[in-house]
Amino acid sequence: MIGYALKELRKRNRKYLLNILVIGLVVVLLITLNSLGIAFKEASRLPFENIHSSIIVQRNGNVPENTSGAVTPCSLAPIKSEYLSQINKIDGVKGMSYGLFLWVFDKDSFKRTLGVNWNDDRGKIIGSELIEGSLPQSDTDALAEREYAQQHGLKLDQKVKVSGTDFTISGIVETSGKDVVSSDVYVNLSSAQSLAYNSKNLQDTEKFNRNDINIIFVDADQTKVKEVTDNLKALFSSPTSNGGKTPTGQTTGAYSIYTPESFESQISSLFLMSDRLILTVSLVALIGAVLIVIKSMSHTLMERRKEFGIMKAVGFRSKDIQREVAAETLLQAIIGYSLGVAMSLVAIFALAKTTVSIAIPWEMSPYPHFLTSNPNLIAPVQTYPFPIKFEAVYSAEVLIAVFALSLLTVLVLMRYINGLNAMEVLRYE
Amino acid sequence: MNEIIIARNLSKTLGNVKAVSSVSLDVKKGEFLAIQGSSGSGKTTLLSLLSGLDKTDSGEIKFVGEDITSMNEDDLALFRRKNVGIVFQYYNLIPTLNVLENIALPLFPESSSKEEMFEKATHAAESVGLAHRLNHYPNELSGGEQQRVAIARALINEPKVIFADEPTGNLDTETGRMIVDLLKSLNKEKGLTIVMVTHDDGLAKEADKLIKIKDGVVTNE
Ligand SMILES: Nc1ncnc2c1ncn2[C@@H]1O[C@H](COP(=O)(O)OP(=O)(O)OP(=O)(O)O)[C@@H](O)[C@H]1O
Ligand SMILES: [Mg+2]
Repeated sequence: MIGYALKELRKRNRKYLLNILVIGLVVVLLITLNSLGIAFKEASRLPFENIHSSIIVQRNGNVPENTSGAVTPCSLAPIKSEYLSQINKIDGVKGMSYGLFLWVFDKDSFKRTLGVNWNDDRGKIIGSELIEGSLPQSDTDALAEREYAQQHGLKLDQKVKVSGTDFTISGIVETSGKDVVSSDVYVNLSSAQSLAYNSKNLQDTEKFNRNDINIIFVDADQTKVKEVTDNLKALFSSPTSNGGKTPTGQTTGAYSIYTPESFESQISSLFLMSDRLILTVSLVALIGAVLIVIKSMSHTLMERRKEFGIMKAVGFRSKDIQREVAAETLLQAIIGYSLGVAMSLVAIFALAKTTVSIAIPWEMSPYPHFLTSNPNLIAPVQTYPFPIKFEAVYSAEVLIAVFALSLLTVLVLMRYINGLNAMEVLRYE
Repeated sequence: MNEIIIARNLSKTLGNVKAVSSVSLDVKKGEFLAIQGSSGSGKTTLLSLLSGLDKTDSGEIKFVGEDITSMNEDDLALFRRKNVGIVFQYYNLIPTLNVLENIALPLFPESSSKEEMFEKATHAAESVGLAHRLNHYPNELSGGEQQRVAIARALINEPKVIFADEPTGNLDTETGRMIVDLLKSLNKEKGLTIVMVTHDDGLAKEADKLIKIKDGVVTNE
């Protein structure tokens, strides 16, 4: 029986080959496109992966009057510490880290300085990147970033001046390229707060209270990111001070809330794809395939009407013929599906060899425009291996769809065969 | 009991044409029966009723003792598979199967062993003189050869009766005669019962017995 079906497949190869190819093509489109869709979402989470949080809160502020001492970049204006407890109360918030990021214009050099709470998640992650020495033991200890230390010939236990205050380098960390927010020098949060509080330039530009911070990392429950984001947006809805625009086009005083979604459009536009496009293409492919297969099937049936009649005349029951045809149809579906899966594997394997580059918004990791002589210092673009995977679950779903469609086809064929009259065969020419 | 088919009062209306009207006839075992009539007289229709390809409107057919008029479609198919061989005017071979497979077609649903199936088919091919053409496809054969394939296919399941509807209707006179000779030799040598429909007087005379039909009614007997 199956032998006959196989033989039929071989003989009618052109028509069946078309069916098989169409099925294969649709399977490839469905699996690959949807794996792409999932991969985009994954990719947009990559910048957040290293920082163990899903939402970043910042506030837009004023541009410093001049470039001296410690200031806050205009995308990282001071945020009152009272907000922290309010964020903690939001349902779905698992944890929270915060810091104070400063631009420090010293005579000898410019340094980005981040005040860190070593006990929170962010602090622990930065601490884990320690390659030499130890974490700051006192408010006058600091960590230097490896690249920055190299460039300025800084060694362990050496002194470094930050905004007029002497710090001792207690350790070297390697964070460049691994973090959304990169810094050159890491100090205790309280030290940074003192530097900020005592900076005349900063106090002139923004009002800075002793406990202010300027960046908050919120670790939300994966399933509740959207709700938490909405709650945060409500909490930070009103700008705290009125004003014009910052140089990056944000409203002064307004809060910026970054989520993985902030990167999604960037990544999809990279591949010229969006969820809606994927859905549209998938649907069109599916409908097109169904039409082509139905058309080829009905064409085949017209051709085979005579054949089925002959079979009936020589003693095939309807079910004997139906068994043949079902075997043929399912065989086409199975071969087509396998072909599709094989092609998907190849396509996905090839795509997995590619990388995605995600531009980290300047606002998130600001660096003075006038100091970008060495573009390596800032890492506005982070490159990751494209996180596309062969989605087994999805291909199983496609298998079910292909199977369901072939069963439907088989049912149509069976009805057709049932309706054929053996008698007609005597009148065939 | 010498009668292999006993048909009584068969009637069949197609559309609004009474194609077969109250026909009664007997077919004896080992007999070569010809049914003759002009075009449109109801020969094909009568043949379809006798062979169990179509159902009668009324009347009764006893075929090897079984009442085939009361059988459902599946039982009729099984009955044909076991007892009936059919040869058509236009051969009705399956173009995508080769000679051997076309001959073996009636055995496919039984799906005994493949070797046995093709051994039987080879044997049948030999008996119609086509042993050298087993791997050819129908479109590579002449009309006479195609009809011989059809006869071999009709022989394969060792039927009780072979029905042939104008088996020479599409062939030239000489080839037609060879086909009739083949049928006759099967009848004489193997004792096969044959019911042949023709409008040709000359061929009809070859038969042991002749039934004439006109407007669906038997006019002799
Ligand atoms: N499907 C049908 N609907 C209506 N009338 C039909 C149908 N099939 C056959 N007929 C009519 O029934 C009558 C008998 O047809 P049948 O085919 O049995 O004749 P026949 O003797 O075999 O003719 P021929 O020698 O041309 O093959 C004819 O008048 C034919 O026109
Ligand atoms: Mg006829």
